[in-house]
Amino acid sequence: MRVARTGGSMAWCEDGQGDGHEVAIELVMPVEVGDAVLVHAGVAIAQLGATL
Amino acid sequence: VKFVDEFRDAELGQALSTQILAELDPGRHYKVMEVCGGHTHSIYKYGIDDLLPSNVELVHGPGCPVCVIPMGRVDDGIAVAHNDGVIFTCFGDMLRVPGSEYTLLEAKAQGADVRMVYSPLDALRIARENPDREVVFFAIGFETTAPSTALTLKRAKAEGMKNFSCVCNHVTIVPPLRALLESPDLRLDGFIGPGHVCTIVGARPFEFIPADYGRPVVISGFEPLDILQSILMILRQLESGRCEVENQYKRVVPHEGNLRALEVMQEVFELRPHFEWRGLGFISQSALRLSEAYRDFDAEERFEVPNVRVADPKACQCGEVLKGVIKPWECKVFGTACTPEHAIGTCMVSPEGACAAYYNFGRYAREREAV
Repeated sequence: MRVARTGGSMAWCEDGQGDGHEVAIELVMPVEVGDAVLVHAGVAIAQLGATL
Repeated sequence: VKFVDEFRDAELGQALSTQILAELDPGRHYKVMEVCGGHTHSIYKYGIDDLLPSNVELVHGPGCPVCVIPMGRVDDGIAVAHNDGVIFTCFGDMLRVPGSEYTLLEAKAQGADVRMVYSPLDALRIARENPDREVVFFAIGFETTAPSTALTLKRAKAEGMKNFSCVCNHVTIVPPLRALLESPDLRLDGFIGPGHVCTIVGARPFEFIPADYGRPVVISGFEPLDILQSILMILRQLESGRCEVENQYKRVVPHEGNLRALEVMQEVFELRPHFEWRGLGFISQSALRLSEAYRDFDAEERFEVPNVRVADPKACQCGEVLKGVIKPWECKVFGTACTPEHAIGTCMVSPEGACAAYYNFGRYAREREAV
């Protein structure tokens, strides 16, 4: 998923279809808008770097 | 989609297939286990086995989280769900896993408040919204999923939540692999390592496989080209006499894993002395329970559970499928009494289960024709 906006330990992320999901990001912080993250059960478990 | 589309290129897939054929020994039979259910799903979804020479056999491993849950644990969950005032939450796959008498979905039909969640954090939100109700999360999964449960429990503790608890069924992948390697039933040449588990634990926990058992491991991504390349890397190790853990999934898996996730898991969980795996029996130190600091959130302490071992139905051969001893279509009830709509065994329930993957992607008809 791609990080669309962040707020504290949560982020709003968009999947490949453009659908939005609320994701916990504290296991991969810091993340920035545009970063791709691997999300499992609502929690980002890996930071894949920028995609934009 | 970046990180996805480029790994589904059909021409590159054909090229890898040709390279595999060119580099292997035609006189040798290669047996490679894909550990993770996600790999099993991809292999049949994309027809990867059709691109392999007939002397490269893929064997399905025990890495589907739903498949390895024994019936007794499902019964424990159902017993908790039937308590007055309880909102019982679980992932969607779990709803259809048969207990000894019925499923969580059928418990819901009988009046239990069972709700599907996408994340344990959703269960915690339900607990916040229902302060007068007990909310229980039925946690399943390997090291990939355990961090999400750990993080949720950390938040629950920080918020002082009193109405949230968890039935912890998290399992760890290394002990069953060791059990399989010790099994005389199975001769394996190499392993496609579980990419997403390794995102958390890193590569190091798998080093015992080449060191103690002389088998190569290649940690793999889940797209078709990832899997084909991983198979090629395993075959190259075998042909050159090398034996090590290699990481094909470097774009996601760091060698040391996710240290922050491991730290959170270390705080919230501890190893159970032993745990029953469906089809594999009891395996020492193969599962997690809540640590002393989080014991207040343990639903098994808060509610009465039967905690009874239940034997699998006689007709069901999930155990042999999970150990890679038989192929799904060799099970007596595959595709007849046991289908995704009316599953007898767990391997037919989850999309990551080998039987469901065979059934859903058309292998069923083809293999039956071959017979």
